[in-house]
Amino acid sequence: MNDDTPRTFDEVDWEQHSDRGGVSVSRRLRMLIIGGTPIALLWLYDRLAVGQRERIFVSLGEDLGLSGLFSTLGIDFDPSSLDLLFVFTMLLFGAYVLVPLSQNPRMTRYYWREFTRNRPAVVSLGWLGVVFVGGVVGPFVIAMPEQNLLAAYQPPVFGSVDMAYVNNCLGGIENGRCHGTWAHPLGTDRGGKDVFAAVVHGMTVTMQITFITTTLVALIGITVGTVSAYAGGWVDELLMRFVDIVLSFPTLLFFLLILYIYGAGLGMFILVFSLFGWGATARYVRSKALAVSEAAFIDSARLSGASTYYIVRRHVVPNTASSIITQLTLIVPGFLLAEAQLAFLGIGDTAVPTWGELISSGRTAIDFAPWIVLVPGFALFLTILAFNFVGDALLDAINPESDAEVDR
Amino acid sequence: MSSSHNSPDEPSTADDHSEADSPLLSVRDLTTTFATADGARRAVDGVSFTVDAGETVCLVGESGSGKTVATESITQLIDQPPGTIRGDLRFNGTDLLALSQPELRSIRGAEIAHIFQNPQESMNPCYTVGWQLVEAIQVHEEIPEPQARRRAVGLLNRVGIDSASSRFTDYPHEFSGGQKQRVMIAMALVGSPQLLLADEPTTALDVTVQAQILDVLAELQAETGMGILFVTHDLGVVAEIADRVVVMYAGKVMERGSVDDVFHRPAHPYTRALLACLPAYGGTNGGIPGSLPDPTDPPDGCRFADRCEHAVSACRTGDQPQAIALSDGHHVSCVHYQSGYDPQTVQEDGTIRQEETDD
Amino acid sequence: MTEPLLSVRDLTKYYSQTEGLLNREVGQVKAVDGISLDISPGETVGIVGESGCGKSTAASAIVRLEEPTAGEVIFRGGSRTPAERRDDGSHPNDVTTFDRSELKRFRRNVQMIFQDPASSFNPRQQVGDAVGELLAVHGMDDRQQRRQIVEDLLTRVGLSAADYDRYPHEFSGGEKQRIAIARALVLNPDLLLADEPVSALDVSVQAEVLSLIDELQQAFGLSIILISHDMAVVNAICDRVAVMYLGEFVETGPVDAVLTDPQHPYTETLVAAIPTPDPTKSRQQITLPGTVPSPADPPSGCRFHTRCPKVIQPDDLDLDHETWLAVHRFRQAIAAGSIDLDDLRDTAAKQTDEWSVAAQLRESFDLPAQFDDETVATAVTTAITHLVDGSPAAAAAVLADVFQTPCEATAPAFIDHGDGHQSACLLHTTDENSGSTDE
Repeated sequence: MNDDTPRTFDEVDWEQHSDRGGVSVSRRLRMLIIGGTPIALLWLYDRLAVGQRERIFVSLGEDLGLSGLFSTLGIDFDPSSLDLLFVFTMLLFGAYVLVPLSQNPRMTRYYWREFTRNRPAVVSLGWLGVVFVGGVVGPFVIAMPEQNLLAAYQPPVFGSVDMAYVNNCLGGIENGRCHGTWAHPLGTDRGGKDVFAAVVHGMTVTMQITFITTTLVALIGITVGTVSAYAGGWVDELLMRFVDIVLSFPTLLFFLLILYIYGAGLGMFILVFSLFGWGATARYVRSKALAVSEAAFIDSARLSGASTYYIVRRHVVPNTASSIITQLTLIVPGFLLAEAQLAFLGIGDTAVPTWGELISSGRTAIDFAPWIVLVPGFALFLTILAFNFVGDALLDAINPESDAEVDR
Repeated sequence: MSSSHNSPDEPSTADDHSEADSPLLSVRDLTTTFATADGARRAVDGVSFTVDAGETVCLVGESGSGKTVATESITQLIDQPPGTIRGDLRFNGTDLLALSQPELRSIRGAEIAHIFQNPQESMNPCYTVGWQLVEAIQVHEEIPEPQARRRAVGLLNRVGIDSASSRFTDYPHEFSGGQKQRVMIAMALVGSPQLLLADEPTTALDVTVQAQILDVLAELQAETGMGILFVTHDLGVVAEIADRVVVMYAGKVMERGSVDDVFHRPAHPYTRALLACLPAYGGTNGGIPGSLPDPTDPPDGCRFADRCEHAVSACRTGDQPQAIALSDGHHVSCVHYQSGYDPQTVQEDGTIRQEETDD
Repeated sequence: MTEPLLSVRDLTKYYSQTEGLLNREVGQVKAVDGISLDISPGETVGIVGESGCGKSTAASAIVRLEEPTAGEVIFRGGSRTPAERRDDGSHPNDVTTFDRSELKRFRRNVQMIFQDPASSFNPRQQVGDAVGELLAVHGMDDRQQRRQIVEDLLTRVGLSAADYDRYPHEFSGGEKQRIAIARALVLNPDLLLADEPVSALDVSVQAEVLSLIDELQQAFGLSIILISHDMAVVNAICDRVAVMYLGEFVETGPVDAVLTDPQHPYTETLVAAIPTPDPTKSRQQITLPGTVPSPADPPSGCRFHTRCPKVIQPDDLDLDHETWLAVHRFRQAIAAGSIDLDDLRDTAAKQTDEWSVAAQLRESFDLPAQFDDETVATAVTTAITHLVDGSPAAAAAVLADVFQTPCEATAPAFIDHGDGHQSACLLHTTDENSGSTDE
């Protein structure tokens, strides 16, 4: 800085500073654009240039003339649209959650300290971490479970199954019972697919559902809720009536209708349920935003000359968004269960290895091969429980009121 | 749990009243500690004072001095845990800390009543004012509803609510701040209390309304002969209603005495600094620089030493200085009044103009 | 003589009361009903009044935090070029007519401090950011520069540069108000509005904050409008004061003059309510009967007449002042609907005699059973009968005929008492024709 820049507030020559209009591109937004553009381009490429049977990166390698390089590095992925969307939501998560946390290390340490008081929550976070890592990294490390009729109904490594139900036993046979091996530590299902691999691939789907639904619900819910509260008047009325409609919409029936007419996969499931599932969040955000809009610091922000958009984004949203973090962690279990239920009813997406599909496939074998239902079932149960615990702990940790006690 | 040792702050109770006439409320060596994440916080640390029937004692101090906690400790309104209350608290001779929960409940609201600072938070917005009054009456007495209703209307009248019987069916939000506080006083009077614990009841009100509320309290006291413990940070209010004053700072008592003593012959530097904040006494003073000590780790010696312009090395060692009796009923906890020190260093610092009366 | 920095003329703010599905307007709450004020550079003006008198609304209207219903606010400071009134009556420097960009520039010149330190700050924003935000909004993009300016300002208000990174909940009420002062100063305004800046603070902290405001005013040549319900606070740092009641100013003038020689009965009440911290002197308390009327339906004429201890008796009435005052109070009680007939009936029920209710009414309002004047006696008796029969409107009408005070007929104009001290009270009108008034 040169010497004639003002160092105190009364030395500032305000005529110099142009009045800023328009939207300035913040660092974060730039980050998102830089990160998001390749994903968007890849998706377009997939839609337009890659055939049904081709793998995206193989095709890309050919087009770029780098197939040799790609094949040596083993880059032959074929991400679906859902996968791409998943990567994008993770980018959003990083930008809007991780970045602010890293910018305020003191507060983050404080939140962490408060969070870790709750032991079950810490364990739950650990489990969710396992699911996350498994979901993101797993598919690269563990191959998709393949059909192998010779290895059907193999029991888990320390278990056993009656030989009557098994054609071929990979482990030892004692007393007419086939024993498990380490080749299939959690056993196999009816088609011989390894349950462990299936569970790991199921983690991916679980994470996809979690991130994408959370992002969509949060985005729409927060926007509608804060705008409605801050604007008030007929805008508020209109938006809230719209929310009423969304809340009363028979989402399941609608999904079944689409399923019947067009067929629907996991992606459509996520989209439909998210697009109709943000109503409660919007209402909740609105009530918080109403309270926030009355606070003196909002008046102060208006007096500073800031635009409405700025005030809503910088002051209203942060004070309401934190209160929905808990709500969001409690919405996710609902979606996970919904997916499992649909799969159980036989109308899930059979092409994708989800926990629900696995549970569904093991239904008929439950009396002799319970592991097929129990293993993914237990994983699902743990995950849902984990979200609940984490949600509770987050509420206690992030709540600012707990710190502003009036000192008597 | 009564403590039988003589607390350093209370050399003897003989100064304040005769043996035969036991005070309405006797607080000796009250210590209230809170277990917090940062350690044990002693909000009240060895506080002693008394309240007699028919008199008003003001507990004065800034935010954080422990005055509210001290008041709430009397009837154990504090959650224990995380709080712990120790000391000798006697109401008409009865040890309050030895009472069981049902016994405490029967005293609370009946013989000892509370009024709080924020009337809107003390009343349930879902029920009419009349309903809440009747409920308060019926908690303590088994009387039929029409009779309770009449008593409630009578109470509203007594505290100065116009057209009491039609306002009986109004909700709290239909009353102004001053009126809500009057209703609170009415609720406190339901059990015909002998002792009223008023925690900053007028702080949130305009000065004109404040004046009216203080009048109501004075009238009621004259009528019923109840004792009032009035907590406030406003010395103007104290001058108006107090018979005796207890000045608290950081959980300890700095000075105790009659209102005349404390206002015309203030002894403790903290009291003098507080008075200097008032325009009539000093006016040019820009407040008391500095802030309260950390309640989880209080300093050695006198709590006020860090902000006191007369602090010497003796002020920072040992415990809070023992209370010295300057005259009958006037005690101060300051080293400058102990033997070997000159009280004039405090008295003649020119911070306040005061009437020098012959001692 | 320099032109005033800010001239407020007949500023009005009404809120609509709506009812029904289509939000039909059924009435108006006249929160601010025509106030005028001048403030010169470097001056501190206080607006004092009880809760509900409209002073906070007036402040919001002056800075256009809320849109005024009518009136002008002419601002001659900051970047505004001096200008003359246009031919159509409007003024180019009238804040109420500023467009968006002018208003944004105006925000640099006038800032505000709010009453409640607890909600004055975004709990999720570091206080340094909160103060620096104003700089950023007005175009200062250099983060370093903003930080330096804010840190310097924080030290000037008595905090430290390290406090930049802390959150509001880590500060006490007094410290938060200091940060609020820093925030209000950061754009180097000409005028500061302080809306009850110390009401939520302890008395010892009040003194600190007030003296800080005073210091900063001297150092930076600020003009200040200080709003308070406490005359003592106003007395501490204001040069001039305006006393407000129910949306109007009733007295204005230099602080010393107004406090030592109040000309308006309401001002006298406020002055008398200042607690004297001397236990030997009892307060000369003036208790006002009744409560503040609703701003949706303010009293006619002088708005204070319903509670004024010096209300003027009409001179065509042969009645001593005491009695007349008693009837006046009776009239106000009927108008306010505060007479509890049920209660009186209950007590009278023991005698089962209609007259007893009447007798009780007379007693509770100090109305004698006999009057010298025939008209008066009939009026009172008829009114009581109407009241007992359950028609308070008729009772009110009967009494209005005979006992109307000039104070309710005429709204008083401002009378000058010299040296800028003005009051709006009929007691001082030179062409007043009422006879002896008990003062």
